Amino acid sequence: MKVRTDIVRMYKDIHGWVGIVSGLALFVAFYAGAITMFEEPLQRWASPPGALAAPVPVERTPELVRAVLAAHPEAAKGYQVNLQIGRENPARVSWQAGDRGGDEHGARRTYYAALGADGKLQVEEHGPSPVAQFVDVLHQQVGLMLDHEVAMPIMGAIALLYAIALVSGLIVLLPSLVKDLFALRAGKNVKRMWLDVHNLLGVFSLPFHIVMALTAVVFAFHDQFYDAQGATFSHAEERPAGAGPKPPVPGDRVEPLAPARVVRSLAREVPGFTPVALAYGKGRDGALTLRAMGRDPRYGLRGPTYTLAILDPATGAVKNADYLGGRQDGWGAAITSFFALHFGSFGGTGVRWAYFLLGLAGAFLFYTGNLLWVESRRRRERKAGAVTQTRSTQVLGALTVGVPLGCIAGISVTIAAAKLLGTGATEPMHSLIYHAVFLGFTGWALVRGSARGAVELLPASALAMACIPLSSIVFAAVHPLQVPAVDIAAGAAAIALMAAWNSTRRRVATGPADSVWSAGRQPA
Amino acid sequence: MSAPRLTSRDWLGKASAGLVLGFVLALGLSGLLAWAIGVSDTFFSARGQLAMWSMSPVWCIVLSLCFLFRSGLRAWAVLGLASAAVWAALYATGMLEGMSA
Repeated sequence: MKVRTDIVRMYKDIHGWVGIVSGLALFVAFYAGAITMFEEPLQRWASPPGALAAPVPVERTPELVRAVLAAHPEAAKGYQVNLQIGRENPARVSWQAGDRGGDEHGARRTYYAALGADGKLQVEEHGPSPVAQFVDVLHQQVGLMLDHEVAMPIMGAIALLYAIALVSGLIVLLPSLVKDLFALRAGKNVKRMWLDVHNLLGVFSLPFHIVMALTAVVFAFHDQFYDAQGATFSHAEERPAGAGPKPPVPGDRVEPLAPARVVRSLAREVPGFTPVALAYGKGRDGALTLRAMGRDPRYGLRGPTYTLAILDPATGAVKNADYLGGRQDGWGAAITSFFALHFGSFGGTGVRWAYFLLGLAGAFLFYTGNLLWVESRRRRERKAGAVTQTRSTQVLGALTVGVPLGCIAGISVTIAAAKLLGTGATEPMHSLIYHAVFLGFTGWALVRGSARGAVELLPASALAMACIPLSSIVFAAVHPLQVPAVDIAAGAAAIALMAAWNSTRRRVATGPADSVWSAGRQPA
Repeated sequence: MSAPRLTSRDWLGKASAGLVLGFVLALGLSGLLAWAIGVSDTFFSARGQLAMWSMSPVWCIVLSLCFLFRSGLRAWAVLGLASAAVWAALYATGMLEGMSA
């Protein structure tokens, strides 16, 4: 396809600049995002066996709920009945409450309840491992562990740059698309090879990237979008108070339907839908509310691991089926599909693996993009007469090595640490461990330069990855192994990192001396 | 073609037009969409959510393609005119009657 050469050149510049600004943050987002595809198995792997008694059968849940509400009346505001119990979900009933003296801004604690063999209430604060949740937050905030309110607009800006990078990259590639697409020129010219890999990955995962860019912009800015619409359009007035006379509040006298009966009612009304949890609560006006979380393999899910249905708390009948596959209208199906396409929560395990690989390929796409930027800048500088690389090229080269490897190693070590920390693990602990490793790697690359840094940090990353199966072996006695697939995957990744180490060593030894990949000219 | 050659030099003028007026356009078009599909009750209905989601592709496309304008000034002028047209249409539909400003 023909595109005017000045347009191609202009978009090449734009592609390079938006890429270099957003590339490293996008690497973290995609690597962590790929891991969140297996958030549930990872949580099962990382969660230690709990101290609670075996959960009561679903039929006896009302007994447990009564005991919880008698001892902890604040749980009436909202508690969850878990229908599928495992290490990742250890208790039949759980609820959240703010810290003492805390308002909605304070940290919320989750409590887990069971009935002992003597019929006595047991309440436990140590729940499943928070490490999977930590990786998810790292993904959502593109690696910036700032306050959520601060991190989200930055994430949105990165997502907008990412959208520009996709369009500009496509425009740049269009004129030579047919010629270049299936070519992988792995010859003397290493830069040509990296460019071919970059183009190949970019074109073949373009639909995935379009989905991710458009949904990420919404995830970052939905508050602002809604606020702007609410402030502008007339029907927004109806939202807060003008709902007319409220129906009389049923109050406390109405008992919500027992979980076992809700499950039976759902099985009758929505066959194929498997509920995993029921959330009982009280609205602001005191009226009872009931939501069912669950999945149906035939339809996409509204959330990463489940979809939602709003039920009538007195009868268990479905009141709002916007997100309930097969029962929703076209509008609800469209909205659900946007979420499912981002979360990969459709089509079962096969799609999760596909998304996992696409996410890793995306991370690699941004890594190759950074490499290309650094290498072409070196050439331009040499043409301009510079004998050594400028400081900024050295720094970017070092960051291109330090940030991705630091992210990979940091996530590996903090996941492995879940077994060491046991029931005392908290999200801030995992964050601290991740950041210590991440900053250590990035700092090391900056001090040692990209080439030496890569040669030294790759085996360190492999070791960090190997910590995951090692921790499983060391703590097998106190923490019986579940989901060995996590250990196998980490072991394979460690081997892949060692292979990368091997080829990097060769390249550093034999590559051109003025390359960022040469060990000779790095600052001491 | 005798069109002047495009360069990336005037990127700030063009990108700022794409960022600001792209948002204004996206908001206006989402209002027209809301009117067309009949978002009546709250914005959290499925239709209301769809109108919100529509802002993302519009904003992204305007922001990505705004570099094709000949200059930053032209980008501001053309996107400004387009926004004025969309918001005039919004006014005609009565969607702006409850504006809080």
